[in-house]
Amino acid sequence: MSVSTSSVTPGSSAAPSGQWLLAWGDKTLLLDQAACKRNLLLVLALVLISIVCLGIGTLPVAPTDVILALAGQGDTMTQFVVNDLRLNRLLAGIYTGAAFSIAGCLMQTVARNRLATPGIIGIDNAAMAFAVASVVGVGISFAPSAMALTGAATATALAFIIGGGSGTRGYRFIVAGLAIGSVSAAISQLLLAQVHIDTANEAYPWTVGSLSGRPEEQIPVMGWITLVGIIISVILCRRFQLMAFSDSVITALGRTPNRLRFTAVIVAVILTGFAVALAGPVGLVALVGPEMARTFARHRGLPLLSSALCGAIVMILADLVGRTLLSPIELPVGVVTAVVGGPYLLWILIRKPKRSTL
Amino acid sequence: MSQTTQAPLGTDMLTLKHAEHTIIEDLSVSFPAGKVTAIVGPNGCGKSTLLNGLSRVHLPSTGRIVLDGQDIHRLPSREVAKKLALLPQETSAPDGITVKELIRFGRHPHQSFLKQWGMDDRTAIQYALQAANLEDLGERLLDTLSGGQRQRAWIAMSIAQETPLLLLDEPTSALDLGHQIEVFDLIRELAAQGKTIVMVVHDLAMAARYSDHLIAMKSGKIVAQGSPKEVIQPSILDSLYGVQCDLMEDPSTGAPILLNVRRSRPEPSETQATTAPKRQAQRDAVSA
Amino acid sequence: MFNPVQFWQRAPSQRPLVVCFGLLFIVLSGVFVLSLLYGAGSVTPSQAWQVLLGHGTDNAYFVVAELRFPRTLVGLTVGIALGLAGALMQAMARNPLAEPGLLGVSAGSSFAVAVALLLGASAATLAMGVAQIGALMGCVFVMAAARLQGQFKDPVRLVLAGAALTSLLTALTSILLMYDQRAADEIRFWVTGSVAGRSLDNLLSVTPFFLLAGALTLYIAKPLASMALGEKVALGLGHNPKTVRYIVMLIVALLAGSATAIAGPIMFVGLVVPFAARAIVGPDIRRTLWMCLPIGPLMIISADILTRLIAQPAEMPLGVLTAIVGAPVLMMIVRAKRLPTLS
Repeated sequence: MSVSTSSVTPGSSAAPSGQWLLAWGDKTLLLDQAACKRNLLLVLALVLISIVCLGIGTLPVAPTDVILALAGQGDTMTQFVVNDLRLNRLLAGIYTGAAFSIAGCLMQTVARNRLATPGIIGIDNAAMAFAVASVVGVGISFAPSAMALTGAATATALAFIIGGGSGTRGYRFIVAGLAIGSVSAAISQLLLAQVHIDTANEAYPWTVGSLSGRPEEQIPVMGWITLVGIIISVILCRRFQLMAFSDSVITALGRTPNRLRFTAVIVAVILTGFAVALAGPVGLVALVGPEMARTFARHRGLPLLSSALCGAIVMILADLVGRTLLSPIELPVGVVTAVVGGPYLLWILIRKPKRSTL
Repeated sequence: MSQTTQAPLGTDMLTLKHAEHTIIEDLSVSFPAGKVTAIVGPNGCGKSTLLNGLSRVHLPSTGRIVLDGQDIHRLPSREVAKKLALLPQETSAPDGITVKELIRFGRHPHQSFLKQWGMDDRTAIQYALQAANLEDLGERLLDTLSGGQRQRAWIAMSIAQETPLLLLDEPTSALDLGHQIEVFDLIRELAAQGKTIVMVVHDLAMAARYSDHLIAMKSGKIVAQGSPKEVIQPSILDSLYGVQCDLMEDPSTGAPILLNVRRSRPEPSETQATTAPKRQAQRDAVSA
Repeated sequence: MFNPVQFWQRAPSQRPLVVCFGLLFIVLSGVFVLSLLYGAGSVTPSQAWQVLLGHGTDNAYFVVAELRFPRTLVGLTVGIALGLAGALMQAMARNPLAEPGLLGVSAGSSFAVAVALLLGASAATLAMGVAQIGALMGCVFVMAAARLQGQFKDPVRLVLAGAALTSLLTALTSILLMYDQRAADEIRFWVTGSVAGRSLDNLLSVTPFFLLAGALTLYIAKPLASMALGEKVALGLGHNPKTVRYIVMLIVALLAGSATAIAGPIMFVGLVVPFAARAIVGPDIRRTLWMCLPIGPLMIISADILTRLIAQPAEMPLGVLTAIVGAPVLMMIVRAKRLPTLS
């Protein structure tokens, strides 16, 4: 693959301004220069923050030692702390943060409303309720992720059916989601009230969203899911962008609006479902991540990749704060994001409404 | 493809409904190739619904919409999008988009993930910018343009789509007279290059002046169709809008001009009351 | 002769208040007795019935008089308080979705209680007043937030602001509780909302607040009703809308705060009760308030009976049940073609 400018007449197929053109035979890819630079910076930030996060804890490790340990060098104690104790947690944070954030960005685009993130429209809580059900065992013995997925899908379907009558644009859709969310939260509590108090206590951090002590075998699975989610989003990004237009324009440009929405929602639901099964309902990341990405992106297209990166950064930073702020007490990451995201949500609601909803 | 001999777009016993309410019933009509067809009629006559049906936004209850001899809903959506472009009445674009970026969206049906940019894209966009006279405004933000410029940008997006057919839903509804003429001139130019154009126009005088073929609708039915001179007749206007008028020929363009428009009946309905003075004003403006 | 069919066919605002109130009062009395008869424990309904007739066993007497009776009485009080608080808040905000639980008022008072526990208070002798102050803060905050954007006109945004406030306060509460295991243990039974295990002492300690709130409600009802006609009309009738709003906020804080102090945060009651009341007697706030008196307790006590019966021998938290009942009502209100503005 080469960065080429022309094949026929010089400059005749030069890329539009601000874009890089990758050409390979008759296959062409356009890359937004600003987006590439931005994402590169975000990746860099993510790596740096990850190294810092791996170093911080009851046993501080210097960044250079962290890198050595990751490469399988250095003394065994450090290697154990970094690779066995902290790395999994960090990866869980990166994967789920990215997943939540992409899902949030997609749902916002579908609903054309920045408040319509999975956490707010009840998908998180429903996924949680179903996952809790499988954990406390109400005669159903599925893996929590499968159940969480079912829960997420159920909640989404309900929110669309109940709020959809008036179009997904309205706040009605969101309130329907709020109601679904609170019923689901109540069901989670109900289920937890049934089991032994110690089990309930153990499950508690997870029910508010936590990265501590997550089952190790689930983390690589989550990694693959997130990766697939990112790839699908990038491939479909061009058509998802069309959702910013009205339905008639989408149709005229050769896409079926409902099919577009359906695809986006399915991707969002799958990502949210798996992320909730692993980390619990940390839904506010889905609000903050895309918002950060959009601030950096300044309206250029649909910043799915940047959202994923921002989400991952937010998630691991929140977890870092939770681990260290009140040490030795560990705050679940869901609590930290709620403390940050709650006021942020209020601010969105209170400030002067912009001309457009997104 | 024999677009010049056979009508590229038409309907066959088309019925369109809003919930239970039938708007258009068993309508068969075809739009002549390479010409500008204007659909006119009083408010609520179903002209916008018809256009929405043609552009696949409104699904037919029964009947077909025929594009190049095939049922439009049986064709792949992207294939249709290469033949049929639409300028909707309400246009909302993503925030912070430039004119060029908007026009690039018109290339969507011709592109795919691994075919994002080619020579054809570049020439089409360049041509659209030229045709719509937007070359100097390409990098401007869409929000900062005037109403007429913005409308031209949207039309440019349809031009970039490189379709033989173009549907326009009230392309000049929110524009002042100067901008209206600007847009209609552009439409005429496109027709001169062989495009088939179908537009819903509210303003009878403008429709008469800028179209080759006029379709007059009332209550979901076609009352009259033909050249503007054939359709703009006192009796037809009476049945459409409930107005009486005298006709004159525009000495420079030959288009019919409405004079001395007045209500036919002493009890005016709402539409008549609102359209009659407007017509008067527009007539004044045109003849001025 | 009283004809129920003909009665029901009347427009809600035409139905005689006394009859509606009387009928519901009879139902409430029935439910009250049922609440004494049924429970999760070993005392059967017939044994409990013997106690009510004055000759039951000692064990049964203890269960009925010391456990079920206080609990039912608490349910009665909490129901009245939450119902009235909801109706008042909705009338003030002119928003059918305004509800202490949804708008973060209950969360405010939970937060205040958590702070008090952390500072050394005990849940058993909860410093009364703390919960009310917390409720007042929550109330003022969310109303100020809504007012800032004139969002009374957009019912749903207000609810979202409330949800945001609730999630923030809940998170802060859990941070506080993680600091202190004792407080966490004490509060755990309380945060889901329940009327179980409450004694008459709890009730007595909040009585003054309820009495004050009741007196204020009687005072404010008429000006509030005139505000339904628009602030200008209210001004013309000699009421200052601002004063009215402040007083209503105070009443809501007193009622919701006290209810939360005894029973923990119970969502949706303040939404469902006024909704039902309006459906029965129409939108006039004075009539609605009267109807909230029997409907509120009816909802809480029935829900409480259900919590004892559904998950025997364990009990299910009351707050869970009201959420399950209340959320569909919320959806119904939102689903209505046109969001009814309370005018």
